[in-house]
Amino acid sequence: MTAVERPAPPPVRTHKEDRRWVGKSIRKVEDPKFLRGRGGYVADLVRPGTLHAAVLRSPMPHARILSIETAAAEAAPGVHLVVTGAQAAELTGPLPDFGPDPTKHTWRCLAVDKVRYVGEGVAVVVADDRYLAEDALQLIEVEYDPLPPVTDPEAALRPGAALLHEALESNCAYDRQFTFGDVARDFAEADVVVRDRLRWHRSGGQPLETVGAIADFDPATEKLTVHTNSLSFTSYMFMAAGALGIPMNKFDVHQVPAGGSFGSKLFVTKPTVIAGMCSRILGRPVVYLEDRVDNMSNCDHHGSDRVYDVELAVMRDGTLRSITIDTIDDYGAYIQFGVGHHGNALAQVTGPYTIGSVQYRVRAALTNKNQQGAYRGFGSEVNNWMLEQVVDKAARELGMDAAEIRRRNFIPPEAFPYFIPSGNVYDSGDYATVLEKALELGEYDRWRAEQARLREEGRYIGIGLISAQERSVFSATEFWFWFDEPNAPVTSSPESVTLGVDATGTITATLYSCAFWGNSPETMVAQLVAEEFDCDPHSVSIIYHGLSGGLPATGPGGSRTTVMLAGAVEGASAKIKAKARRAAAHLMEVDPEDLEWAEGGFQVRGVPDQRKGLDEIAAMLHMFKHSFPEDLESGLEESKVYDHPYTTMPAPDRSDLGVFYPFMGNACHVPVVEVDVATGEVRILAYAAVHDCGTLVNPRSLAGHIVGGTAQGIGTALYEEFVYDDEGQLVTSSFLDYSIPTAMEVPELRIGHVETPSPYTPHGIKGGGEGGRMMAPAALNAAVNDALAPLGVRVTELPMTPDRLRAAIREAGAAPGRG
Amino acid sequence: MKPPPFTYSVPTTVADAVALLVEHAEEEPRVLAGGQSLVPLMNFRLAQPGHLVDLRRVTGLDTLRLDGDHLVVGAMVRQATAERSPEVALAAPLLAEALGHVAHPPVRHSGTVVGSIAHADPAAELPAVALALDAEMTVVGPQGERRIPAGEFFLGPFTTALAPEEILTEVRLPRFPGGHAFVEFARTHGNFAVVGVAALVAVEDGRVSRAAVAASGVAPTPVRLAAAEEALVGMTGDDTAVEAAVDAATAGLDPAGDVHASAATRTDIARVCLREGIGRALRRAEDRR
Repeated sequence: MTAVERPAPPPVRTHKEDRRWVGKSIRKVEDPKFLRGRGGYVADLVRPGTLHAAVLRSPMPHARILSIETAAAEAAPGVHLVVTGAQAAELTGPLPDFGPDPTKHTWRCLAVDKVRYVGEGVAVVVADDRYLAEDALQLIEVEYDPLPPVTDPEAALRPGAALLHEALESNCAYDRQFTFGDVARDFAEADVVVRDRLRWHRSGGQPLETVGAIADFDPATEKLTVHTNSLSFTSYMFMAAGALGIPMNKFDVHQVPAGGSFGSKLFVTKPTVIAGMCSRILGRPVVYLEDRVDNMSNCDHHGSDRVYDVELAVMRDGTLRSITIDTIDDYGAYIQFGVGHHGNALAQVTGPYTIGSVQYRVRAALTNKNQQGAYRGFGSEVNNWMLEQVVDKAARELGMDAAEIRRRNFIPPEAFPYFIPSGNVYDSGDYATVLEKALELGEYDRWRAEQARLREEGRYIGIGLISAQERSVFSATEFWFWFDEPNAPVTSSPESVTLGVDATGTITATLYSCAFWGNSPETMVAQLVAEEFDCDPHSVSIIYHGLSGGLPATGPGGSRTTVMLAGAVEGASAKIKAKARRAAAHLMEVDPEDLEWAEGGFQVRGVPDQRKGLDEIAAMLHMFKHSFPEDLESGLEESKVYDHPYTTMPAPDRSDLGVFYPFMGNACHVPVVEVDVATGEVRILAYAAVHDCGTLVNPRSLAGHIVGGTAQGIGTALYEEFVYDDEGQLVTSSFLDYSIPTAMEVPELRIGHVETPSPYTPHGIKGGGEGGRMMAPAALNAAVNDALAPLGVRVTELPMTPDRLRAAIREAGAAPGRG
Repeated sequence: MKPPPFTYSVPTTVADAVALLVEHAEEEPRVLAGGQSLVPLMNFRLAQPGHLVDLRRVTGLDTLRLDGDHLVVGAMVRQATAERSPEVALAAPLLAEALGHVAHPPVRHSGTVVGSIAHADPAAELPAVALALDAEMTVVGPQGERRIPAGEFFLGPFTTALAPEEILTEVRLPRFPGGHAFVEFARTHGNFAVVGVAALVAVEDGRVSRAAVAASGVAPTPVRLAAAEEALVGMTGDDTAVEAAVDAATAGLDPAGDVHASAATRTDIARVCLREGIGRALRRAEDRR
């Protein structure tokens, strides 16, 4: 093996130490409007006169559409329009699809010749209101010719399985094995090979407001204006315009707060295309806002659904040498983001450990289910769970303590920047410190004693301990390095900010992508601007620019927004200060180099009473053009398009994927659970979480992320699952059957922070939006396994429902607890 | 998730309400009380009544009173009202305990006790309570008033002995002189239970003199577990007796599995609920003496 030659990392930054606002738990800028009900969600923006669309959902998992009869629906009261899938295919193109071979698994806003999952849209009705639209849906008669449902990912790949997409000639949309490093040697030299088979079932983000779009086509200008709560703007919206067949310069999109996304609103274009298509036909505004069943069955954002076969090569002293991972991922009926979720896995495939080589095979199975999209973690959380499960199994087989095997394999602090076998870099980290802090915060030793005491009373207490990675700030390469000849090897993923200082000296920041999806972009930007200009963050005004005339922006996703906004704010601030410096120097008749920024203005170095405040400079620049040299333009407004700060290209043979997720956080979760072995119920008795996301911008908002993500991780571990039965019916299509944890199931978290700054980002910030969910499923599985160890039960399937736990306990021959 | 068209009336007397049901008989009318079960079903279009008769303004249906040894609960008594009522605490503490498990407080402020019983969801708490207490159902229809014992009321999932033109105007719950317990197991707080158990035990001279045990979630209707009752009566109520009752009760169970629990797990969970419910009722019965 030859050593991989890698481009040098970016220059190491020196971070400001006396930060005034970055690191403070200021009150969130967004809260007052949301707490007053003035957030402006989609449903709030529907004006009188807007028509309402409703979609007829397929009751069949897999069937040919023989005929659709719409005459009765068209004649129903208040109905303006009925469009079938076949008609929609004449009016719109396929939806944006980053999958392996979009022409062979074509995805459209409504099904055309066949339906591929329960809930897939087959027709849309537009009526005066949603009630009338749903009444008319009942009058549409669809004749189906049923086909065999394909519901199991492994069965889907077997020869003879019914085909989802005949053009693909297989239900396997993707199959490739990657080898990074000398896996064969490492396995040959291993003392022990630990094998595991694991199953992670699908769940998904559950927003308060579902996905929706209000489309308003103006026949006079032929311009389509859309208000939608989908995320990811400007940079990729040309694809939605393309699906609608509308020129990009006649397509404007305005951001609406997510109302809960957790990934599930990442680049959702289907409602925009449906509403846009109908509005263009009718020349009137049309809203399509999913109801809960639409969302759960047809949102295109179910989460990962994987089967794993894993082998871990281990030395007797606990050293982890190599890992081979063979996973089948059930993508559902379409595969809009390709296998990007496994890019997330490969970004941190070896966790915080010095595992030297990796073999990774991924097969994407197509089945009769709603397709995968994004869910907090984007597949990295599944890898974390798999790795921590198999590391725990190794510790058991070697008779080692869970903490000890981890300590022995941590990448040491002096080894950063550290390239893992897949080629991604970890910028910085201090994993042992995070672990020790979590053990202390979680009272690990006290709980071990308590566990032994309660075991004597017949109670089953378990303590989980996991240490795992929290990647942030993705690069575009992870969506195409899967292919030798990618269709679109895109490398841009910018984010932009415009800063304006008006004539009175107050500052307005303009953002170009997300409206609000949980990371508090307004608070982040306000703090970062205040840090630059020594002003009160609550005095900074934030506005959102729509698509038309906007600067490039990729939108949130992959915990990128805060870092990217910080870079853009930093860049725009530097431009403002450069202009202000020149202006101040001219006004004070000194050399610009003799000035320094201090306390919100420029002063002569070391002479604080010879200064011009930013407000004075701004007033002069706005109002007194002729006081300045000819080339100083009026006003004080600057923009920065900030591109990804650290991306490198993959090797042509993909033996190295390059740097694509460089800002690497780390966390350690220590939950304590009690398993009621008679009912299979798991109760959480205590929970400690320590995260290192680099320099903190706002500890309180990050803690909110940790709590929310952990709550969702608890859901994934114990409660939530989209269950399709053998017939392909979605039996959990509302909150009646899809169980999500409530405040009663989520414990108070003890949260700790470690701050290991990134050397490559402004202030050393790393993203932290997904960490809770990346850790909790693994941590709770570890805790339950610890609890059930005395019974010889090890759970390898999530969620750990009472049914699954009871079945495992029964199988182990443990009697249901008597009296 | 919007209901199909329906017409709606708000009568002020029971007689008018019955007359409206007769008048709209062709439209498959339904009676609306708190709406916490019916309205979601209508939104899912699983129920499509053409006419709703809303009982909210019918005089006298919101009474909650003691009538000798009976607690009488009118059709419009909200669950939250009953939950906090001194009369209920005194005369039917089993009902009060069960109400604490019904969904969440906002639902209980709208939902009614009688409406839940009439709805007859096999997983719901209150039908099991009515069955355990041998409640009497007061029903008014075109032919006048009749009383149906709880044991004859629940015929299947969401199906009762009520005729289409009859209204369940009140439920009469006899006082049970002994200990009570309502125990249930739900996946998450406030969600529908997987299994619920209502237990009533009276103790005289150190021995069980009377027992009533009902369960929800283990059959198409709430069921009385007569075998458990028989196993308890005459026993001292020690752990062995409780275990025998649990064995007797579960021997006869043949629950269906669903997404939340297979038949085997449902039976496992029923054992736990029965053991806890009977045990707690016994302790309370002994404390009362």
